[in-house]
Amino acid sequence: MKFLNLFVLASLFCAAPLAAKVKVVTTTEDLAALAREVAGDTAEVGYIARGYQDPHFVEAKPSYLLKLKKARLFIQVGLELEAGWAPALLTSARNPGILPGRPGFMDASEGCEILEKPAGGLDRSLGDVHPLGNPHYWLNPENGRLIARAIARRLSVIDPDNAGKYKANLAAFETRLTGKEKDWDAAAAAFKGIKVVTYHNSWPSFAKRFGLDVVDFVEPKPGIPPSPAHIHSLIARIRAEGVSLLMVEPYFDQKLPKKVAAEAGVPLVIVPPSVGGEEGIKTYFDLFGRQLELLKKAGGK
Amino acid sequence: MPEIAEFLLWPALACLVLTGIHAYLGLHVVERGVIFVDLSLAQVAALGSTIAFLAGYDLHGRGAYVFSLGFTLLGAAIFALTRDIKSRIPQEAIIGIVYAVSAAAAILIMDRLPEGAEHIKHLLVGNLLTVTPREVIKMAGLYSVIGFLHWLWRKPFLAISRDPDEAARSGYNVRLWDFLFYASFGFVVTSSVSIAGVLLVFSYLIVPSVAAMLFCERVRTRLAIGWSMGTIVSLVGMYVSYKFDLPTGAAVICVFGAALCLMAVFKRLFPACGCPS
Repeated sequence: MKFLNLFVLASLFCAAPLAAKVKVVTTTEDLAALAREVAGDTAEVGYIARGYQDPHFVEAKPSYLLKLKKARLFIQVGLELEAGWAPALLTSARNPGILPGRPGFMDASEGCEILEKPAGGLDRSLGDVHPLGNPHYWLNPENGRLIARAIARRLSVIDPDNAGKYKANLAAFETRLTGKEKDWDAAAAAFKGIKVVTYHNSWPSFAKRFGLDVVDFVEPKPGIPPSPAHIHSLIARIRAEGVSLLMVEPYFDQKLPKKVAAEAGVPLVIVPPSVGGEEGIKTYFDLFGRQLELLKKAGGK
Repeated sequence: MPEIAEFLLWPALACLVLTGIHAYLGLHVVERGVIFVDLSLAQVAALGSTIAFLAGYDLHGRGAYVFSLGFTLLGAAIFALTRDIKSRIPQEAIIGIVYAVSAAAAILIMDRLPEGAEHIKHLLVGNLLTVTPREVIKMAGLYSVIGFLHWLWRKPFLAISRDPDEAARSGYNVRLWDFLFYASFGFVVTSSVSIAGVLLVFSYLIVPSVAAMLFCERVRTRLAIGWSMGTIVSLVGMYVSYKFDLPTGAAVICVFGAALCLMAVFKRLFPACGCPS
């Protein structure tokens, strides 16, 4: 009897990993939000960088390695957004299934509409120029749709038993997205065509989709303080060209943009660029809803 | 715990290698009173890499390495030449100036670069948690050679650090030995910084030797105290980083600070503890 009990116990333990849900780990909360739409209750989704962090800089923590070790699917934004930390984490996680080139590794930028790809004839003598384009492409909901489709395809390869569920979840997401996009376009109509200045060049996809005209940046090169001449001409330009507002991400120092906005006499709008960038932004839909609400309030006609 | 041990093994070994060489070099640095020399040399090396990058070399390739090494040697030469005991200008001033100017020069160059400024930032950050076995083994080999040379020439190295006047009188070429010291030091610091980052390397260099000075004068005992402290702090720091899920390097540094405080309090309570000077 005792032996039988042991046997049952042992078989339970052995069966547990088989029944366990597929684990997906993404680099950012935006990708996690999209993966959750596709995964539903069928797969488990985790992420590394919080939405309120600058995804260019992430300090490695032991828990990240544990997450990656257990993951069956790893998804990154790519285009070198996470180049400073994701490759090192991947090699250290000792999980060959999620290394680049394996089915468990997915670069979400593949197949998406990427803006600002330098067109051919790159001058390599200038150094390690990245011919990859602007990595903030998730800020176009049509790219979100493409990413969700790619995630569904990938999950179906990794977890074929649940392929039907992923397909159904994707269809539900797409229907909802199509509906929401109509609302968003209606909301964006209130400020369509206005000129804006952004802190970094992180909004081209968003601007193209919702009709903003980004004329300049506060800090044209990430991490390098702008020269006084640039700030001076920026303020003049804001006044001369009738720029309506200045957009900045919450994780940058607000001192300089505040000063520029005050001197030029335009409102400064702090717009979260990511899911999780502000309390209450929990889904991909929340993100656009909040961004458009903020812009409408500040720049609506 | 066993699962995480797999991930923390190599970072822990890296910490032990860092302890080994830096607790020793730290003795010299504290003795010479050039506390920030490592930050300064690391910044000079980063400037070298930046210039290599501007010249079109791959940031992680051989060309960039040669540049950063060349700049480190240049920095070593500056520090060896400016150590004039009769001058009223403290050497820390020169070190600070070299640091500020090379950091600023790197910013100016990055301003001219089309892209990739972020990559250069990572040169001074390093990441202890994601260190690879290859890096640790390479580092251990390199530091063993440098440690051995320092042991071989321990007499002149210690003499010029402790009392350059006396060393000059006994016939040592102080400038030459100073240059050799800073060159080997710069070599170590540059490769440590790329793995562990400036803050962590600074802590490994200064904290163990300061802690040892609380208790002892003799070099040998101070070294023993420094090494023990570095080892224990590294392991406790790793555990804290795991237990509370904190960035590993920063956790180790804060444990260093806490350990130093504890040792200082202990010394206050038991002033008799320690070896007689």
